[in-house]
Amino acid sequence: MEDRLLKLEELWPCFQGIIPAALSTCSQDGTPNITFISQVHYVDHTHVAISHQFFNKTHRNVRENPLACAMMLDPRTLQAHRIYLRYQHSESSGPLFDSMSLQLQAIASHAGMTDVFRLRSADVYEVLRIERVDGFTRLPPAMPTDRPSRLFVDQDLESLRLFSERIHRAELLEDLLETTLRLLDDLFGFRHSMILLMDERNTKLFTIASRGYPENGVGSEVGIGEGLIGTVARARRALQLSAIDHSLRYARAVRDRMEAGGGADAVCREIPLPGLPSAAGQIAVPLLTRGRLIGVLAVESAEPLAFMAREDTLLTIVASHLGGCIEQLSRDTEESPQGALAKPQSLRALAAPPRSRSFCFFPQDDCVFVDGEYLIRNVPGRILWRLLTQHRDEGRTEFSNRELRMDSWLGLPEIKDNLECRLILLRKRMEQKCPDIRLVPRGRGRFALETDVAIALSERDT
Amino acid sequence: MIPQPVFDLLQTGVSVIVGTRDSTLMPESTRAWGIHVGKNRDSVTIFLTEAISRKTIENLKENGLVAISCTRPTDHVACQLKGRLQTIRPAGQRDRKNSSDWHREFVEELVAIGVPADLCEAWITAPALAIDIDVTDVFHQTPGPGAGEKV
Repeated sequence: MEDRLLKLEELWPCFQGIIPAALSTCSQDGTPNITFISQVHYVDHTHVAISHQFFNKTHRNVRENPLACAMMLDPRTLQAHRIYLRYQHSESSGPLFDSMSLQLQAIASHAGMTDVFRLRSADVYEVLRIERVDGFTRLPPAMPTDRPSRLFVDQDLESLRLFSERIHRAELLEDLLETTLRLLDDLFGFRHSMILLMDERNTKLFTIASRGYPENGVGSEVGIGEGLIGTVARARRALQLSAIDHSLRYARAVRDRMEAGGGADAVCREIPLPGLPSAAGQIAVPLLTRGRLIGVLAVESAEPLAFMAREDTLLTIVASHLGGCIEQLSRDTEESPQGALAKPQSLRALAAPPRSRSFCFFPQDDCVFVDGEYLIRNVPGRILWRLLTQHRDEGRTEFSNRELRMDSWLGLPEIKDNLECRLILLRKRMEQKCPDIRLVPRGRGRFALETDVAIALSERDT
Repeated sequence: MIPQPVFDLLQTGVSVIVGTRDSTLMPESTRAWGIHVGKNRDSVTIFLTEAISRKTIENLKENGLVAISCTRPTDHVACQLKGRLQTIRPAGQRDRKNSSDWHREFVEELVAIGVPADLCEAWITAPALAIDIDVTDVFHQTPGPGAGEKV
């Protein structure tokens, strides 16, 4: 046996199913069993999987005594290797099962045995030890290669595949945005992220979704050219900053600006951009579709060396998928029929919900306050005010995007009106500031105003 | 007693793999360089090289329990023998001939399924130990729903 510890990946030719592997197990009463298995499947650097098709002795043995030993031959040299295993668990659904099952089905269908050869589970084993069996062949070992196999999909590639698959399933823009940020966290480890979209006049970006911050910052704005995000928007190129000088951090810059601006109004009518106080690395990537900037995806980390070229590349690919999906789902001219209603969102539990909410509209800057606190302004402010007044005056609760588009008072541009984005923004701000009054999606292009409290409306000039 | 169909199978160039286990119930796998059925058909002799089967031989000396699976590569017809160690001895002239005959048949089988002959010829099959095994059970092991049934 050679001294150097072998890595499972070095046995890649043995995982191709070219030569069956010998698998020995042992029952609890000590009776050994050995059988050929057509293929040992590589799962990751410490796990393999073996297909379970029939209720055989191997299947029973490893559930009594999880230890096993597989002997595999390298098809290039017929050199043998042993891997010592411990049975861990069985999977009867999920990507591993699907991949093994599909392979089995393809083989079975060739032989007209589809009903006989059916994968019951993918049995996953932990690899305890690997050894090359010296004295097996006179041939020298095959030359090691830098590239173990085209069958070992790089983890990042696999994650990108999953990301692409899942975001293309989103039917509503809000789902798309939430899913994207969750997958960035789950698949790539980007814990702190946000998506900003361009406003209708192409002068500012507004935050429409964020993840990993105490305050979601939805509705906060960044000017083109301002800070990292604004710079990326202007240049339409990804930018990565590591070990950031604190004075360059966009979050602080925005807050400083707010404070320097003085006046309570200036502060209370701005929503702070989400930001880590101790951010040491940031990447911002433009969201482009057919050469047009529609927004920016930004991530940050407290680790100075968290972001390298890999992260930059991953986010650029993610952003290109995301840009196309946002563009597609923003074109919501088609309304879904009434029957296909989305489930109303459940009301966030409140210890002592207020019995009424008081909204105040400031026509000068289309700003809406709720119970004396800034809620939203500009186009979403006007939309909210329109909905609330129609609810008060006509008792309406159901609305459509189409009627909002036709409402000249709202001032939506005729093309690229960003209405769906504005509604998401409004919905999220309401969830945060007045969760007892909700805009609930009712399928594509329709929504309802739901309220658990009385609503009082007033208007003020200043 | 080894039934006739299994006896016939074992006269061909079958792939022979051997399973044992140690006192902690950790299984061990190795390859045997041939199998020969004993006169009364209630025992077999398998040929192991110490270099690749050290742990197997240790296990056999310790508890004597063994499983031997024999599969014909060209059609996957297979059986499994369960047994108990009788003796471990250096391979004699007759054993060497039996192993050599088996090897020739086995290489023919492998070449028939596309394995280059020079790879098979490079296996180190000697010096071998002859391991005599009393066969206690015989099982079908041809892949499919009937696999595992006692013969």
